[in-house]
Amino acid sequence: MISTVKIRIAAILAVLGIVAGAAVPAAIARHHHHHHSGIPQNNGGDHDADNNGGPSDGDGLV
Amino acid sequence: MTSPLPTLISRLLPATAAVAATLSLSACGSSMPPSGDPAAFGWLKPAPAPRSWHWSDLPGGDARMAYPPSWRPIISDPGTASAALRDADGEIVGYLNVTPQQGQETLANWSSFRPDHNRDEGDVDLRPIAAATDLPFRSGHGSCLIEDYRTSSDHAYREIACLVDGARATTVIVGAAPPDEWDRAGSVIERTISSFLT
Repeated sequence: MISTVKIRIAAILAVLGIVAGAAVPAAIARHHHHHHSGIPQNNGGDHDADNNGGPSDGDGLV
Repeated sequence: MTSPLPTLISRLLPATAAVAATLSLSACGSSMPPSGDPAAFGWLKPAPAPRSWHWSDLPGGDARMAYPPSWRPIISDPGTASAALRDADGEIVGYLNVTPQQGQETLANWSSFRPDHNRDEGDVDLRPIAAATDLPFRSGHGSCLIEDYRTSSDHAYREIACLVDGARATTVIVGAAPPDEWDRAGSVIERTISSFLT
């Protein structure tokens, strides 16, 4: 009886773990924007402040 | 004898759900965007800048940003304009930037778009302080966010970032300064944003 209960609990936790795990990539993926246009940043960083650890500008791009 | 399983499940489910919710929030890397707080933007009173201030225009005249003579234009992305106040060591103690709208930012999503963007740039410890929509500007209206963060080089900044829908264009204006410099630079940033034209 006890071992059956343990197995069922393990199964339930496994399913819930998959659900919780699935929520994490979904939340992370939300932050990957797909910009349709943008201001060229030359060296991906064009030596301006925001690409070198300074305050962020308003470019909408990384 | 009643099986302990239903009781156990009923106790585990809420706890597991809470863990899942916490994991989701942790993955976002910051607290939720603040809800509308127009009182935090009571300083925003659309008015021309002092006559002694300088101007930077976006190409095509789509926007005009004013800054005091002690601030200097600095290198910026093509098609944008930035000005900064630096201390004796060259550290940025005040920063202004104006950039055309170019991504998926909207007046409605600004309070979440902007922190997401800053996070993408490598900023950490993002702490949204206040946000509001439908704020008045000289040539239209906009959405603004006040937020603290640390950059990838471990410099702390507080920023006011606004997306402004004006008569000529929709444009982003950002002002930032270290929190311990806010008493000095914050009033300039607020005056610049209040005088912004787009």
